[in-house]
Amino acid sequence: MTELQGVIVGAIMALALGTYTFWPENAFASQREKTRLDYLLERKEQLYENLRDLNFEYRAGKYPEEDFLTQRALLEDETAQLMAEIEHLQQA
Amino acid sequence: MPKSMNMSTWMKAVQALLLAVAVCFWTGAASDSARFNDLGHRLMCTCGCAQLLGECNHVGCTESGRERNELSAAIASGATDQQILNSFAAKYGMTVLAAPPTRGFSLVAWVAPFAVFAAALLGTILLVRHWSLGRAEAAAQAATPEMNALREKIRRETEAGGEV
Amino acid sequence: MAAFGSFALLIALALAAYNLFAGAIALRLIATGQPARISPERLADTARRAGIAGFVAVTGAAFALVWSVFANDFSITYIMEHSNRALPAPYKFAALWSGQEGSLLLWAWLLGAYGFVLRLLHKTDVKLYAYAGTILAGVQVFFLAVVNFAAPPFSLLRGAIPDDGNGLNPLLQYPEMVIHPPMLYLGYVGFTIPFAFALGALMMRYPGEKWIKITRGWTMVTWLFLTMGIFLGMHWAYAVLGWGGYWGWDPVENASFMPWLTGTAFLHSVMMQERKGMMKSWNVWLIFSTFALSILGTLLTRGGLVSSVHAFAQSSIGNWFVTFLVIVLAVCIFTYVLQRSHLKSDQRLESLVSRESSFLFNNLVLLAACFVILWGTLFPILSEYVQGTKVTVGAPFYNRVAIPIGLFLLFLTGVGPLLPWRSTSLRAVRRNFVIPSIALWGTVIVCLAVGVRPWHDGSFDAGNFYALVAFGLSAGVFTAILSEYLRGANVIRKQTRRNLFSAMYLLIRRNTRRYGGYLIHIGVVIVVVGLAGSAFNRNSESELTLNSTMSIGPYTLQCVGFTQDSNLNYNSEYALLDVYQNGKKQFQMSPEKRVYLASQQPQTMVAIHSVLSWDLYVVYEGTNPDTGNPIIKAFLNPLVSWIWAGVIFIVLGTFVALTPSLAPATATVRLAVPQATPAEAAIRGGD
Repeated sequence: MTELQGVIVGAIMALALGTYTFWPENAFASQREKTRLDYLLERKEQLYENLRDLNFEYRAGKYPEEDFLTQRALLEDETAQLMAEIEHLQQA
Repeated sequence: MPKSMNMSTWMKAVQALLLAVAVCFWTGAASDSARFNDLGHRLMCTCGCAQLLGECNHVGCTESGRERNELSAAIASGATDQQILNSFAAKYGMTVLAAPPTRGFSLVAWVAPFAVFAAALLGTILLVRHWSLGRAEAAAQAATPEMNALREKIRRETEAGGEV
Repeated sequence: MAAFGSFALLIALALAAYNLFAGAIALRLIATGQPARISPERLADTARRAGIAGFVAVTGAAFALVWSVFANDFSITYIMEHSNRALPAPYKFAALWSGQEGSLLLWAWLLGAYGFVLRLLHKTDVKLYAYAGTILAGVQVFFLAVVNFAAPPFSLLRGAIPDDGNGLNPLLQYPEMVIHPPMLYLGYVGFTIPFAFALGALMMRYPGEKWIKITRGWTMVTWLFLTMGIFLGMHWAYAVLGWGGYWGWDPVENASFMPWLTGTAFLHSVMMQERKGMMKSWNVWLIFSTFALSILGTLLTRGGLVSSVHAFAQSSIGNWFVTFLVIVLAVCIFTYVLQRSHLKSDQRLESLVSRESSFLFNNLVLLAACFVILWGTLFPILSEYVQGTKVTVGAPFYNRVAIPIGLFLLFLTGVGPLLPWRSTSLRAVRRNFVIPSIALWGTVIVCLAVGVRPWHDGSFDAGNFYALVAFGLSAGVFTAILSEYLRGANVIRKQTRRNLFSAMYLLIRRNTRRYGGYLIHIGVVIVVVGLAGSAFNRNSESELTLNSTMSIGPYTLQCVGFTQDSNLNYNSEYALLDVYQNGKKQFQMSPEKRVYLASQQPQTMVAIHSVLSWDLYVVYEGTNPDTGNPIIKAFLNPLVSWIWAGVIFIVLGTFVALTPSLAPATATVRLAVPQATPAEAAIRGGD
């Protein structure tokens, strides 16, 4: 490829890439703001996972019973409050 | 708290072990070939290959053969390890020593890692203690029927550990 | 092709710059809600598409370079210096990364490739991806500016065009060299992605910790590439450099090891943020440092700041990297200070005895190791500045300082998995430590019995002592992890009445990250056993005449011939050695020495016979100029193959961890089954 051919191919590529970049596309994804509800639902998922894990580890013999009950109560309370808020938001 | 007592004695034991390991230095080995091997791993090849003298083997190295002969001669002459290292350092400069000497400013090179490690260990222990002081007990929660129903639902959905 | 390549690089730079500025303006407009003539979201989307187009342009440039190598276009300086006509095809590819300009182009291309994937996947979370993509574009602008202006790969040779090139550095003419640098670069470059997400999440004050889940895959893939890159490099050093070892604590090795250490720390501590919202600032700084360390690594090795055996490619681009590093740190600090209120986290530990606190210590140790290596690497510069004399900080320093830290880390690898999340008491987990402790002490006793003694002729042998500790700890950690699998599988076995193997399978499927992680730990244990074997390395050197023998360990080597050979690429001399064990001939080895014609550089070709218990490693040192006989150096390196075997576990474990876990059954599914007082069932143990 000579220098001139190289420049021509480069120019064609530049044109094609520019067209792709600036093509008046209307189907672009909008940047939706994450709502409090989204956040709470994510958080709920995580707390559920933590609770399941707590149960599992208890069964695997890593907690004395009293520790397990305290931890579970703590996590359940936290989750319950979260779910109360979720329900409140979903009704609103 | 007996629990944390256990923990801190355990931690002390670990620290003591580390300290014991830290202050241990290699002592001179007995035979000449062992000494040659040992010293060869405490000196650098000066040809610029950044390899230990005992390991430099790249073909056509102009320095390592001569240095090795000097080292053998020095060992045969009955000089101590320290004398040999000093004579090499005097001849080729400090960079011939594979590790910084343990005196003067170079001692800092040795002390700093252990000092930083010890400080960070102490810091972490204090941090863990500090964070775990605010150990929350199960606070009395509102026992409204709605909350109880929610708690019941949560337990139902999580207790089986995720049946598949 | 050179003109096209240069042009393509310019286009790529322009597109990356557009991506950066249009993206930043769009995000600013969206954040402030200012009215604008063009919809900011539309602007952000053109920025994203510019990123995709930029990748196409860099690919064009990389293609042009590869094309020119294959076309033997020696009018391009880079190709004249790094290739020649006789070079075999795979190594022509390797020429792309054997020099400075080529490596930087590869770096820019890999960055573009990561960015391409990122920008295609943007619908996962449009806003977060827009931030990450814009930050990534910033990094791309830097690398593309470097390849355009500071280290152009397509610059043309002045004067007459030579008929043939200088050829590839012979050290690099080895199969692993074709994949080691790209792997390492994929690792280095890949950390840009979690970095971009972390910085982006901080800039936009991303609510929650979901971004960690989004970047987890990226971080693990990157970590895997870096790990494989490091180990391939070790294997290359072992098989090619011919000094019998695999790790020399060379500044370049250190440079790749430091981001690995902080990246590993990040992978662990980020779990605390994901689960409990803890350690947010710490994690942000871990990933910032990991990225900064991978830039620093490039600066150290490419900028010629420290001397190294890897000095394949040095030049004055150091200043560019220093400037970039300063900008990166400034942006990180500025963003952190501005948004630190967003990182307020719930720093609460329920107990000293918990997975969380073990992670804290894990992070401490990994960072201490990173500090030691950084300190050792930079101390020569510091020493020269303070006392006026340069000193060498070589292997003896690191062996004494880093090994104890490494062993402590190994110890934590065993303890951590035995502790549950949140809280427990030592009393509760004490019995879980019984079997690992027995394994540990049992191994120590066995080792002492077979002669691994820290005392040797009345003097202390540190190497043996460390090896003893490493073997003991490895056995303990291995048992601890194994018992962890069994305990988990047992719970499932009780729940589902499966046999142990299918329970084990289900266990791993349900929590791929945890149990894949444990598999990685097993790999690490196996690697440590292999590393500890080096305390018992032996070697012997001998000048061999025809039919004379030398012995090492259980082997006797008999020289049955030495001869010379040559081809277009190199001349070689080699010896043929019959290897006897217990009086019987077992196999033949032929260590070799080559002199490459194009570069006139000599190179040893090591012969290695590897079995599980040791490697017989034979080097053709040269010929005695007086007698013309070959000088052979033989090494017996115990347990080396364990290192490479351990890596297989690490890779396997990472793949397991990357597989999505089975989702737990939803409430509705389980509600179909009548439930008998679930609370009681859980307390009884759930069976």
